[in-house]
Amino acid sequence: MKILRHAMLRAAARLVPSQERAEWLEEWSAELWYAQQSGVVDADRFCLGAFQDALWLRRHASQRAPRTASWLASPSRCLLFLAGLDAAALLAILPVPRPSAPIPLRAIFLLMGMACLILLATTRLSLGDYPASRSAPSLATRMRRWIFLAAKMALILAGMYAGLLLAASLGEKTRTAAVLVDALLCGSVLAFRWALHDQRRRCPVCLRLLTNPVTVGQRASWFLEWNCIELVCLRGHGMLYIPENPTSWFGAQRWQYLDSSWSGL
Amino acid sequence: MIRMAGETKLSHTAAMILQALGAGHVYGLSVMEMTGLPSGTVYPAMRRLERDGLIRSQWESQSIADAGKRPARKYYRLTRAGKATLEASQKRYPLLAKLAPVAETGQ
Repeated sequence: MKILRHAMLRAAARLVPSQERAEWLEEWSAELWYAQQSGVVDADRFCLGAFQDALWLRRHASQRAPRTASWLASPSRCLLFLAGLDAAALLAILPVPRPSAPIPLRAIFLLMGMACLILLATTRLSLGDYPASRSAPSLATRMRRWIFLAAKMALILAGMYAGLLLAASLGEKTRTAAVLVDALLCGSVLAFRWALHDQRRRCPVCLRLLTNPVTVGQRASWFLEWNCIELVCLRGHGMLYIPENPTSWFGAQRWQYLDSSWSGL
Repeated sequence: MIRMAGETKLSHTAAMILQALGAGHVYGLSVMEMTGLPSGTVYPAMRRLERDGLIRSQWESQSIADAGKRPARKYYRLTRAGKATLEASQKRYPLLAKLAPVAETGQ
């Protein structure tokens, strides 16, 4: 029975964010030891509660995320990653025989159009408010942000094209090709969603991912006070406020440029 | 939990947990025993209270645990903000004080 209880704790621990897992498991294992010794609580029910605790930690992990940037924080690494995926896709289709006829342009546009329609229906396309201020960067710097987004989209489209080539080589009427096109459509929508989400979480100046998420205010009192998640650019370019409950006065995420005195960050 | 104009209002469950901690029941298990709440309620509530700065956690010394031939435990204590919130909650929930008398020395 003891083995089963520890197995339950270990299973629940898989839900806990990895950086907190060891300490979490140590705490629950210790408390389980005392629960079994004292016998005042049902040890099985005690272990079941670990799942609720683990789920709570998982759900609130973004508010207590480690203050380190991810591997994809750098814009060049992000583009390299996408280019690497495209290269892998192209390598994968190299041994496949070429389709007898070139892929009609309308098939590519149809797939792109359907992906865009699904995207419009399922996600916000707004990238947020970036109000002009004295600390705002030059036009050239601001244009880099759009070039970066366009580069990501182009790399995603290149991946889509590789997938279409593979589908076309399988023949028009095969079941595998049909499934592949469906999967490609779903994959494209997810990839475009990711590209937009990634763009929203980047500093408009240095294009690095923002870090140090902090919850400001309480969700329960959103009507009375500011309630959002605040992220900061580690290079001191500015701060991003993401509303937890979008309202008419604070519907989209808002960027605030910081002046050069913050560059010491 | 709702925070308005410097005053923090707790749910009844969170107030019970603060009361138990204030009374010297510093471990999750002893809070469960004191309040009668299940582990799936007590631990997430304590995470929330810790996130909001009302309690803080600390591991007991490993040498003390080793001497007692038992695993080291994580204990929780009220912070200054937690004590102030508990006092406000006791006014809001008068029956709370009957749950467990808060230790005079505090935690």
